[in-house]
Amino acid sequence: MMRDSFSSFHPIVNFIYFTCVILFTMIFMHPLCLGLSLCCAFIYSVYLNGRKAVKFNFVFLLPMLLIMALVNPAFNHEGATILAYLKNGNPLTLESILYGVAAAAMIVAIVAWFSCYNAVMTSDKFIYLFGRIIPALSLILSMVLRFVPRFKEQIRSISAAQRCVGRDVSNGGVLQRARHGVTILSIMVTWALENAIETADSMKSRGYGLPGRTAFFVFRFDSRDKKALAFLLGAGAYIIAGTFAEGLYFRYFPSIKGTFTPYTWSIVLVYLALSLMPVAINTWYDYKWRFLMEGERSFEEGT
Amino acid sequence: MMKITKGKIIAAAVICALLAASYIMGGGYAVKDGPPAEAAGAQTAAREKTDAVPAETDEVSVETRKVPGETEAVPGEAEAVPGEAGGEKAERGSSEQGGGRLSAEEKLALAESMGEGSSEGVEKGSKDYSRLQGMELDPGTGKDIYLTDPVPEGRPVPVEPEDAAISDRQLTCTLSVRCDTILNNMDALDPEKTELVPADGAIFATAKVTFYEGESVFNVLLREMKKNKIHMEFVNTPIYNSAYIEGINNLYEFDCGELSGWMFKVNGWFPNYGCSRYQLKEGDVVEWVYTCDLGRDVDGYYATGGE
Repeated sequence: MMRDSFSSFHPIVNFIYFTCVILFTMIFMHPLCLGLSLCCAFIYSVYLNGRKAVKFNFVFLLPMLLIMALVNPAFNHEGATILAYLKNGNPLTLESILYGVAAAAMIVAIVAWFSCYNAVMTSDKFIYLFGRIIPALSLILSMVLRFVPRFKEQIRSISAAQRCVGRDVSNGGVLQRARHGVTILSIMVTWALENAIETADSMKSRGYGLPGRTAFFVFRFDSRDKKALAFLLGAGAYIIAGTFAEGLYFRYFPSIKGTFTPYTWSIVLVYLALSLMPVAINTWYDYKWRFLMEGERSFEEGT
Repeated sequence: MMKITKGKIIAAAVICALLAASYIMGGGYAVKDGPPAEAAGAQTAAREKTDAVPAETDEVSVETRKVPGETEAVPGEAEAVPGEAGGEKAERGSSEQGGGRLSAEEKLALAESMGEGSSEGVEKGSKDYSRLQGMELDPGTGKDIYLTDPVPEGRPVPVEPEDAAISDRQLTCTLSVRCDTILNNMDALDPEKTELVPADGAIFATAKVTFYEGESVFNVLLREMKKNKIHMEFVNTPIYNSAYIEGINNLYEFDCGELSGWMFKVNGWFPNYGCSRYQLKEGDVVEWVYTCDLGRDVDGYYATGGE
């Protein structure tokens, strides 16, 4: 497993990177941008989560992309190029198919980016950034995001315990299974309620909400963060300026039309650099690390 | 528990201001100064076309008749504009005068007040006549099961598409699909769609088309659009038991302001029911027209549900 050096940057750098990348993916419908974003999200998610990400991308995201691309022309019939007519009389258009592909690529790219976000932006980083500005909301957000995995974990352990006494959902006939399922759910709800009260008590006894508290982790904003932030803001500003100058103009309806001028390519290039920033940083730090190790080894051998 | 701080009050105020701003400034419908210049614009545009489409001449005279009655406030303008050369000039004048934007509610009220008495293409329904023709009206609401009011005297009552018996006998009717009103409202049109509007407003020029006895206006439109490779999208609305035409030639409802969409008339009348329920007869004249103003600009306001 490779080390993610980008995670060791200051949280503000991580956060601005993900905001930029996710927002740009959501806003730009230019096929170059979408394709690029999808590829970069794929690469970074595989870099971060390894084999798990490959499995997730191919088993879950790829079918989702295909289904969504196919569903769109069934409901959307706009477009100048009529390929055929559907059974009910509405036209099947080339534009609606391509738009479906684009929209599907966008959603899949966003899901992949969020899987990267979850790996890099841990909840302590989020609270470090927003704990002072929006204390209640940032706490709630980090708790809510933790909610689902935590419940999943708990339900798995309850289910395992029930299986030991022969009362799991995999034991018995249909009716019995349903009964066991309800029992597990009831145990789960009881646990959740009790846990909520315990959490509240625990937080209160540790002085939650008192003034002058600090974060558990101390993040330093050093020169490499400064450089990374400058790059992020510069690239982001260039891309945003480019969209306002119609450099990324692309339309799907009524007929497909878009710009592919050198200016567009320059924006896309900056976008590529921005999206691949963490991968580039990781590769550079890996190289540096290996170089240092080798230097040390050759130094040892030399003496 | 929850403290009201300065920041929260500011946040609430900002949200309220944003909502108010979007309510006031929202909407893509460019408001015109009122009927005189618009009517005159339509008239000049129509006058240029008189040689091509003789059927439209009556419409023009109808509009001229109604102008003085409605617009006592600005009769000078109404007279001044037709004297000028092109429809383009009148159009520019109207967009200059209507600089401001209204909220959706005000626009509806405006359309309603202007539509009053001006819908030449729509007549009052007659209960006795409709009953006699076999329309089953609910005594409580005065409408049939698909929420249709009684039809006016002399007009056909709706025929449900599932009951219609389509025979092999070929008949002919006249069909046209036009979007003249967009030409007068180019500033309100979605900029991506300007290239779709034909210079003369005719998407499907008036032509005699064949159909089979028992077919509806919708059947004819669907067949002719397919045959002529013109794009058309519709959606079936079970509550009215009819197809609703969303867009023809990629010009969709709401593309030219929020009060825009497709309407149809047969023999000069805008039926008060859907196109799948209007059974055609030999020699009927079917016109599909695009309205930018809930039917007011094509003399069919009451057919869109006014009153």
